[in-house]
Amino acid sequence: MTRMDNVIEVNGLVKSFGTFRAVDGISFEVQRGEVFGILGPNGAGKTTALECVEGLQQPTSGTASVLGMDTQREVRRVKERIGVQLQASGYFDYLTLTEILELFGRFYPRRLAPGELLAKVGLQEKARSTVGKLSGGQKQRFSIAATLVNDPEVVFLDEPTTGLDPQARRNLWELVEQVHAEGRTVVLTTHYMEEAEVLCQRVAVMDRGVIVALDSPLNLVRRLPSPYRIRLQSRSPLPMEGLRALPTVREVARGGDGTYLLQAGDAASTVSALVEWARAHEVSFEQLEVKPATLDEVFLALTGRQLRD
Amino acid sequence: MAVWHLFVANLKMIARDKQALFWALVFPLIFVVVFGLFRLDQPSSAKLTVVDQSQDRVSLALVEGLKGAGVLEIDQSRDLASAREDLAKGQISFVLVIPPGMAQTVAGGATVREPVSLVLLYDQAHVMTIRVQSIVRGVVDRANLLLADAPSFLALTGEPVQARQIRYFDFLLPGFVGMGVMIYAVVGMATILASYRQEKILKRVLATPLSVGKFFVGLVLAHVVLALVQAGIILGAGVLLFHGHVYGNLFWVAVLVMLGNIVFLSLGFIVGSFAESSQAANGIGNAVTMPMMFFSGVFFSSDSLPAVMRVVVKYLPLTPLLEALRGVALDAKPLWDFPTQIAILLAWVAVTAVVAVRVFRFS
Ligand SMILES: Nc1ncnc2c1ncn2[C@@H]1O[C@H](COP(=O)(O)OP(=O)(O)OP(=O)(O)O)[C@@H](O)[C@H]1O
Ligand SMILES: [Mg+2]
Repeated sequence: MTRMDNVIEVNGLVKSFGTFRAVDGISFEVQRGEVFGILGPNGAGKTTALECVEGLQQPTSGTASVLGMDTQREVRRVKERIGVQLQASGYFDYLTLTEILELFGRFYPRRLAPGELLAKVGLQEKARSTVGKLSGGQKQRFSIAATLVNDPEVVFLDEPTTGLDPQARRNLWELVEQVHAEGRTVVLTTHYMEEAEVLCQRVAVMDRGVIVALDSPLNLVRRLPSPYRIRLQSRSPLPMEGLRALPTVREVARGGDGTYLLQAGDAASTVSALVEWARAHEVSFEQLEVKPATLDEVFLALTGRQLRD
Repeated sequence: MAVWHLFVANLKMIARDKQALFWALVFPLIFVVVFGLFRLDQPSSAKLTVVDQSQDRVSLALVEGLKGAGVLEIDQSRDLASAREDLAKGQISFVLVIPPGMAQTVAGGATVREPVSLVLLYDQAHVMTIRVQSIVRGVVDRANLLLADAPSFLALTGEPVQARQIRYFDFLLPGFVGMGVMIYAVVGMATILASYRQEKILKRVLATPLSVGKFFVGLVLAHVVLALVQAGIILGAGVLLFHGHVYGNLFWVAVLVMLGNIVFLSLGFIVGSFAESSQAANGIGNAVTMPMMFFSGVFFSSDSLPAVMRVVVKYLPLTPLLEALRGVALDAKPLWDFPTQIAILLAWVAVTAVVAVRVFRFS
């Protein structure tokens, strides 16, 4: 990758409110065509960081540039080429969806037609409705349509799925994939590990104003001391010591229904050792499931805390 | 270009916001209808201006007699020309002219053939005209009796004057215009701003390349148009439905409405910047406008307030606006006859604009 491929460059970004440092010196790059995630708990500084990059907030120190333009010195030109979805922002109450998109389009030198935008997000039928009459999921989709009004090269989505039911969330993921497939670079923030795993090529894990890890979801998991989860179920009780003695196994926990959960450093060697061990001890098990650890566990390992409480 | 589209969009939003329309249009209209239906302008007394050109024993006795008759409030004036002028403008309604040399003439006694002629100038259209005429005639007749031997020594002649008929309702109309423009501009702007901030609409707009200035120019222009529509509807209803009068130049009325509107919009902007929510903005907006509605002379002239209050009230923005509006609408004066009022309003524009810019916040 050359530096030319960096659509966003952030260097030593700090944002303080009084003596409190909401963003405490973060640096990262986002490459063209990437879906980049910022993952972190409430108050981690995700929104603040994003808004500094979008030119909505002035960083206390450090720099951010988008498409090669400094987001402070060339804020207007930056805004012309990016699309911004704020965390839970409203739109005018007394205008129809078409009218809002039409109006926002006028703020830009280059714009897409309201009909085309509504079709992209599947809201053609609601063209003459007002935002107040939309469901939660429809509102978020409309807000993405508004984000695309200037046909932006870079799209920022701040918690696009927070507060949505699983169905609406999946629906929105498809929409983000579609926006990405149109060749736009996407930066999104989320609380949901699953969302980051599904959508993002790379994820910055943020906690208390700093980035504690930055990599692809798979690599983040792989870097865990025990990145695999092996679940098995047995009718007869199994000796815990025997399971614990298997190669690369770090932790064994017993659940209800005779299930056992093993945390392992390697999948293949542990599973084959497990099968041997079962044959040797003449025990059988009904189910065997092997999964990589989740980003939730990555967060726990990195910070010692749960992502959500 | 963007400003034009914002302006149109804001007009649409206003037109679709039923609550805003109620406060902007229906609320002041209720006042027009209520005061138009009740005949509130039946005064129980009338002011009589006496131009006493004699200033002697007899004329003074006559004036005392008039004072004793009740109903009449006597006001003395030396200058007939200015009294006539005031009468023509509708500022006063009755003038009694006592000619010079009353005492000598009376002393002359029966040798005088010609009766002395007192002239009552009156506003034909005034509701009290007949009553005042008969009271003055009664006093003059009694004076004649007292002067004994010459029963028709004093003669009273009446002289109708074509005066402007300014009823209490006419006085109220510009008051309602000022009140309507004030309340909607302050409360409306405050709630809009607070809710735009609360719902992060302001921040969403800030995320586009549009300048904040243009955003607010579009918003203010739409509200200025609303204020003009408001004034038009209030005056139109008053004049067409309830026979109110506007004598002055409507262009000056419009200029004043716009000037006042700008002051109140920026007041509303300041309120909206402080208020945490649109409900709070509504409450504070009402608290700011209520005292002005009562003290700045919507319903009665603020001249009748205690002196201490008058000093304060004089500088509240609604007071000069109403003074100038009434002067322009009722006395048909040009705008430049009100330099003090306009200066106070412009000072308010300047001060509120500076404060508004300083207290404004996006989130
Ligand atoms: N304008 C402000 N003034 C003072 N403190 C602020 C301000 N904005 C944010 N903060 C603080 O900075 C910290 C980071 O806030 P931020 O909104 O960036 O978090 P976040 O990661 O987006 O959280 P969430 O997931 O809840 O949206 C929080 O502790 C917040 O209270
Ligand atoms: Mg946030």
